[in-house]
Amino acid sequence: MSKFILCLICLGIASAEDLVIQFASPVAAQSYQFKKSAFVFRTLGCPSDVKPEVSATAEGLVDGQRQSVSLKVTAVQASAGNVFAIFREWSNQGVWIVSVKAHCGGKSAGVLVATDAQGIVRESSTVLNHPATEKEIENSLRSGKKPRGPAD
Amino acid sequence: MLDTHPSDRLAAYLDGELPDIERNRVEAHLGTCARCRHALELVRSGRTALQHLPIASAPDAIWSAIETSADFRTRRPPAVSLVWRLAAAVLVLGIAASVYRIWSTRNVTSWQVMALQGSPVAGSRRLSGGESVPSGKWLETDASSRARIVVGSIGSVTLEPNSRVRLLSTDASGHRLALGAGGIQASISAPPRLFFVETPAGTAIDLGCEYQLHCDRNGTGMLRVTSGWVALEWKGRESLVPAGASCRMYAGRGPGIPWFEDAGDGFLRALGDFETHRGESLDRILAEARTRDTLTLWHLLSRVEAGDRVRVFDRMATLAPLPPGLLRDRVLELDTQSLKKWREELAWTW
Amino acid sequence: MVYDAYKDQVYSIALYYFHGNASVASDVTQQVFLKLMKDFHNFRGESAFSTWLYRLVVNTCIDTGRQADARVVSMEPHMSEMVATPGSQEDDAAQNQMAKSVQSAVSALPPAFRAAILLRYFEDLSYEEMARILNCSIGTVASRLSRGHRLLAEKLSNLNSRLGGKER
Repeated sequence: MSKFILCLICLGIASAEDLVIQFASPVAAQSYQFKKSAFVFRTLGCPSDVKPEVSATAEGLVDGQRQSVSLKVTAVQASAGNVFAIFREWSNQGVWIVSVKAHCGGKSAGVLVATDAQGIVRESSTVLNHPATEKEIENSLRSGKKPRGPAD
Repeated sequence: MLDTHPSDRLAAYLDGELPDIERNRVEAHLGTCARCRHALELVRSGRTALQHLPIASAPDAIWSAIETSADFRTRRPPAVSLVWRLAAAVLVLGIAASVYRIWSTRNVTSWQVMALQGSPVAGSRRLSGGESVPSGKWLETDASSRARIVVGSIGSVTLEPNSRVRLLSTDASGHRLALGAGGIQASISAPPRLFFVETPAGTAIDLGCEYQLHCDRNGTGMLRVTSGWVALEWKGRESLVPAGASCRMYAGRGPGIPWFEDAGDGFLRALGDFETHRGESLDRILAEARTRDTLTLWHLLSRVEAGDRVRVFDRMATLAPLPPGLLRDRVLELDTQSLKKWREELAWTW
Repeated sequence: MVYDAYKDQVYSIALYYFHGNASVASDVTQQVFLKLMKDFHNFRGESAFSTWLYRLVVNTCIDTGRQADARVVSMEPHMSEMVATPGSQEDDAAQNQMAKSVQSAVSALPPAFRAAILLRYFEDLSYEEMARILNCSIGTVASRLSRGHRLLAEKLSNLNSRLGGKER
């Protein structure tokens, strides 16, 4: 009986694939039209017949003041799967992080993406299994690594 | 403090377009003026609202109308019979290429070049402004000159000081330059494989990008990509270089192995040793590699012997597991499709 | 090539400039690319290609606006032409309604504000580039964008609670 229950549990775990947001530099979109985007992201774990709902905001700390900018999220038609692009719409001043949220089939996910002049900064970015909370955003902004220096 | 309310500068403030001093003034004013803070929120709301305006697809009928209009404007003489018009229309429609490509091949034996600084030399003529330079000519700059080359309608190339480039063909199938020595900065916005730069150590093929390319007179050089991708090809050897990465080129050997510029010093030293055949460097490369360095390891797969290839594959698989549907054996056999698919997936980790 | 790279942006700017009138937008788009082909040999590279192209777009919109009496029309005729974007099906109707309201509000803006906002939104041009395209100072660009966005928000004030960072 216990083995039977264990098998059921395993099946349940195997079939409930988590929703994950994966982000990368624009080249991952394989589409020249998005080369100027700040970064691209895709959702993994969404059932094939369900479209994910995605949104993004740029969260910033400029001279000690919190700022938030709603961002345009553009679907990358040329790519397979649910791939989206984010273009830079936030100021060059201060420290910024982009909070991406996704919802699909009752599941949610989030990611906080740090960028600098050279592109995404993975070490300062965080993948979450839920949309980022205000506290997580604040912590990320106040403890993030300094951006890399300008490219030579 | 500002004497007047900065209502006309609020969009510039949000867009980061104000000089620092002015931005600081606006911020200081916003700290004390509720009316302007309200105005700022209105500007921000207006910007947010625009996100609900979707981009519209241009109907296909527009291009058909352009084809028809351009044909009659560009090919017929001022007075022409209806029979000639119909014959011309049939001729155009019977050609596979689009009217835009036909137009772009009409006057494509020359390049538009302009002097940005000093007096670059095209052939034997000194340039002083913008000029049309026939294909086949060399364009040269000295220590105090720079030039800009217009690449059809898809972008431009800046020729750096102490450089020479030959203006090869320019037509609907593509635009080609040959870099003899020195450096260029290319900024191209077009579908892939329309812009090529030949060097003695390989051809840089634009895949929608911005990059810097330098080489000496022997062909040894360096490519650095700042946006998009560039492919370097030489006699069947290919290196794909994405933004944030660089790649050396070697005379007589072609493109080297690309690397990301933020790779560790130990990794880069080991890679340098590998490329110059110094010592047993593959172990060090594999030991020092991060997940992002799978760009380099992916290229190594086809540059090492079969025995070493297994080690490279195994290290890659620990850093970035093989995607579902791809087979280890097919990758080790250097199956083109398998390698391409794995590279596309690896790009999500770079 | 150039047509494929820019056609949707040019068409979209013309469409929203002319109150969602797809017929006028198609005419403007056609005129722009025909002029481009005719005058390309005059392009000397003094400015970016996009600056030259969008100056053509703005001038053609202005000229067409002077000649034609562009009336506000319903958004319905062109909604089917929108680039498909992922989104839950149950939000489609709400999204359409919001898009319609925003488009009406944009249509009601003075032409100078409308052009500046559409250029900035669809092509993300810098203020310096926009000043070259619109043949005005950077300060004027800043002023038009500030006042235009503010007017837009005021017209849409009844929808503020529904607006937010949503996927398009």
